[in-house]
Amino acid sequence: MRPRKLLRIARWEATKGVGGLDRGAVAVAVAATAFVLAVSVAVAGGGVALEDGIYRVGVSEDSRLHDPIAADSSFAVVEPDPTVIESGTLPADSQYDLYIEERGDETTLYLAAEGGAPTDKSRAAVATLRESVDRYNDRRMYEEDNETAAFPVTVTIRYVERGFDAGGDGGGGGSDDGGDSGGTGTGGTDGGSTGGGSVGDSGETTDDDSIGAPSLGAFDLFGTTESTGSPSDISPPFPFQSLVLAFLFVLPLNFVIQAYGSSMLSERLNRRGELLLVAPVSPAEIVFGKTLPYLAAALAITAAVVAGLWALGGEAGPLSVLAVLPLALLFLATTFLGSMFARSFKELTFVTVTASTVLTSYAFVPAIFTQTSPVALVSPLTVAVRDLTGAGVTAGEFVFATGPVTLVAGVCFLLGLGVYREEDLFTQRPVHLKALDALAGRIRRPRSLLLVVALLVPFVFVAELLAVALLFALPVAVSVPLVFAIIAVIEELAKGLPIYAGYVHGRYDRSMAVAVVVGAAAGVGFFLAEKVSLAVQLVGLPGLEVADAAFQTGLGTRDPAIIALLAVAPLALHVVTSTLSALGASRDRTGFAVGLVGAIAVHLVYNLAVVSRLV
Amino acid sequence: MSRTTIARRELGSLSREKTIVLAILIQLIIAGFSSFLVVGLTSLYDPGGGGEEIQVAVTGEAADELIAAGNEVEGLNPVEYRDRSNARDGFDRGDAAAIAIAEHRDGRIDVSVEAPQSSLQKTLVVVRLRAALEQLERSERRDRAAHLDFDPIPLPPSVDASPYFGFTYTILVPLLVFLPVFISGAVVVDSVTEEVERGTLELLRVTPASLVEIVEGKAGVMAVLAPLQLLLWVVLLGFNGIAISNVVALVVLTMAVAVVAVVFAAGLAVTIPVRQRAQLTYSFGALAAFAAATALPEHPGTTVALLAIDSPTLTTYAHVAGYVAVAAVAAVALRFGLDRIDAERLG
Repeated sequence: MRPRKLLRIARWEATKGVGGLDRGAVAVAVAATAFVLAVSVAVAGGGVALEDGIYRVGVSEDSRLHDPIAADSSFAVVEPDPTVIESGTLPADSQYDLYIEERGDETTLYLAAEGGAPTDKSRAAVATLRESVDRYNDRRMYEEDNETAAFPVTVTIRYVERGFDAGGDGGGGGSDDGGDSGGTGTGGTDGGSTGGGSVGDSGETTDDDSIGAPSLGAFDLFGTTESTGSPSDISPPFPFQSLVLAFLFVLPLNFVIQAYGSSMLSERLNRRGELLLVAPVSPAEIVFGKTLPYLAAALAITAAVVAGLWALGGEAGPLSVLAVLPLALLFLATTFLGSMFARSFKELTFVTVTASTVLTSYAFVPAIFTQTSPVALVSPLTVAVRDLTGAGVTAGEFVFATGPVTLVAGVCFLLGLGVYREEDLFTQRPVHLKALDALAGRIRRPRSLLLVVALLVPFVFVAELLAVALLFALPVAVSVPLVFAIIAVIEELAKGLPIYAGYVHGRYDRSMAVAVVVGAAAGVGFFLAEKVSLAVQLVGLPGLEVADAAFQTGLGTRDPAIIALLAVAPLALHVVTSTLSALGASRDRTGFAVGLVGAIAVHLVYNLAVVSRLV
Repeated sequence: MSRTTIARRELGSLSREKTIVLAILIQLIIAGFSSFLVVGLTSLYDPGGGGEEIQVAVTGEAADELIAAGNEVEGLNPVEYRDRSNARDGFDRGDAAAIAIAEHRDGRIDVSVEAPQSSLQKTLVVVRLRAALEQLERSERRDRAAHLDFDPIPLPPSVDASPYFGFTYTILVPLLVFLPVFISGAVVVDSVTEEVERGTLELLRVTPASLVEIVEGKAGVMAVLAPLQLLLWVVLLGFNGIAISNVVALVVLTMAVAVVAVVFAAGLAVTIPVRQRAQLTYSFGALAAFAAATALPEHPGTTVALLAIDSPTLTTYAHVAGYVAVAAVAAVALRFGLDRIDAERLG
């Protein structure tokens, strides 16, 4: 690859895409400005309150509960009509979900009931009412003159390592860490459990209250090492705000890949790419030259977001940008592959939307558990969240979070480059056949399967990590068998699909001897690449039983015989199962399906019988 | 007549390319993703859920008060320790999940809590301790009521309610309504600009179909697909025990919003017949409109939630009527606009 040619293509792509101030460019600019304005108006106005008035409550003005109910926007106050409860119950088809009747000193709550039992909705309404009464009481207490009586309990919470003396007497109310240790500002979160804290509360309570540590405005949730306040000020260690901010990194990527995919596909639809292909540049130079401006744009946006957060007082730094880089690459790589496979713009839209939802969930869901579980490190976004909270990551953790993603992006580009040639660019074939073409493009002899299957292992790795991340929250009795089943499917597909692609493209003779050789090559390739996944054990996942089940190293047993057995036994397993797939594929499509199902079954039985007994 | 032919052809190409399957797959992922989010978040938050008891070492002069309050909280087991170092030992041995030291100080009870830094249960520990401390606060307030002007309102009883209930109707259902609408518009942009860019629009123009009929055929089929997807979700959610009320009103609403979206998309596609820019303008524009809708008395998302959860008011129905009116005006405006456009210019 020659840098000068690459840069020239990059410049051409950038000027063609952005340059020129025609009607289209103006429209994009106007729409983007409208978007930014509308969002800032929405944010300034307190955001979208989707839960407005979802529960209807019958309560009279003179009831004690009227004020807290009126103050919570999720309740709609309906004028009470005593006749609906004459029979002693509140029918579900009345206009109330909750009816409050006050007689003298006694308050009675009627829940809308159907068939004798309160409806789900009315029970949810009571739970919400409980929270809003609690919040209302707290708000009224801030107006009391006697602070000691209004807030008789103060709490200091700190997080310490077990077996490590935290020092200090712990009662100092955060004095030893200084103000920036991040006490949760009073009223700022409203207890956090409803997520609907109104903006007005924090404004009126932060100034006149002397209990809480100084509030740091928008960023006070970042500090989770120590916080002080009244009991309702305690927020559980949950990095919600950092998560929302981290989402800012992923959102622009969705726009960038739309423009990128569009540009890549129009090369194919208009046959413009044909001219590029006859030019004295290699396909790799064309692809990377055309990708470069979009990667640069993604990084520039990320850097701008980080700089903005930093200017606002956040702790984000270069580490966040570095963590988003592999994600940006992965978004671009899947879009590139999608635009190589898609037959029309419509199809490309669906491919990119599917890719971005899957990738966004992959980045976002594990990051939710940033502070509660090491499994969160599956996602590069976790690194960004940790950077935002000032927690930092070790080099090993960084590699663990970003490595697989970078590898998958590389493999996607490699597969796409394999079909970046005339006979593939300008033919229209269904997506799945194109995918097989891309796989077959790298297959020549049985032994090249070894390499192709090994190349797919990063995909397997990422898919398995995602399965672990999604299932670890379930009880072990459920999650471990489920993980076993999912792994059997993923691994057999990774070995079986290249084999099938090879047969479809007539790379091998359809004889039994060849099928065995092919199967063995795929099995060995997979086995070798899989051992790379031992890296998992070196970083963060030990201790999670699910992870141990997924990557079955047996290190947990500390028995050399078992570790050795588990190192070799998979070789036999992979060779046997992929030979099953190969024997099936050597017949026809149905044969392949049968072979694959058989291979998955064998794999599952092995997992359940051998691994779960030994580990 | 040619309008339906074009619509049928459009539908045919969508199903041949399996894009409809992909569209439903995307929404399944989103639905799965959101329900996972719910489970993940509530299992971290919900103090009542997750059976096992958490033991907390309590010490200090006010330990008795805290223990009394802690015993009233579900899932928390406060145990008194003789002094601070005893509590520390219990914590280090793993007997106690957290330490709480309660002291009297300046007429208040000062509690200092130490929770484990690296523990999966950290959030659970803190949430349950918070419940105990709030209980303590309430009982202390009762004791000091003489010094307070405002008598705190007693809490309603706690009931067994699904923590996912509100989320399902206020986030998941609106998402499943507006996503197909958004995608419908995006597909119209693709479909029109594609005909222009590939030069096939010219061929279509040779047929007796007018530009108005071509665009209306393409936009019409997408506007119908959005409410059909909504009906599919209503059935699927029903299987999961989530009842959706006012289905007719929801379908009307979806239809109206989908018409507005596809009209906007079609208008953009004929004004800027370059896919890349038209698509980008469409996404920004649609997101801007959704954000700007906060200025309405009731956000479209809220309207959907209120209808689905069966709490609609007159305002809700007024909004639905408003969307229908806007959709009708938009459809007529598109027709006039297309009549005035020189179809030859599009190429």
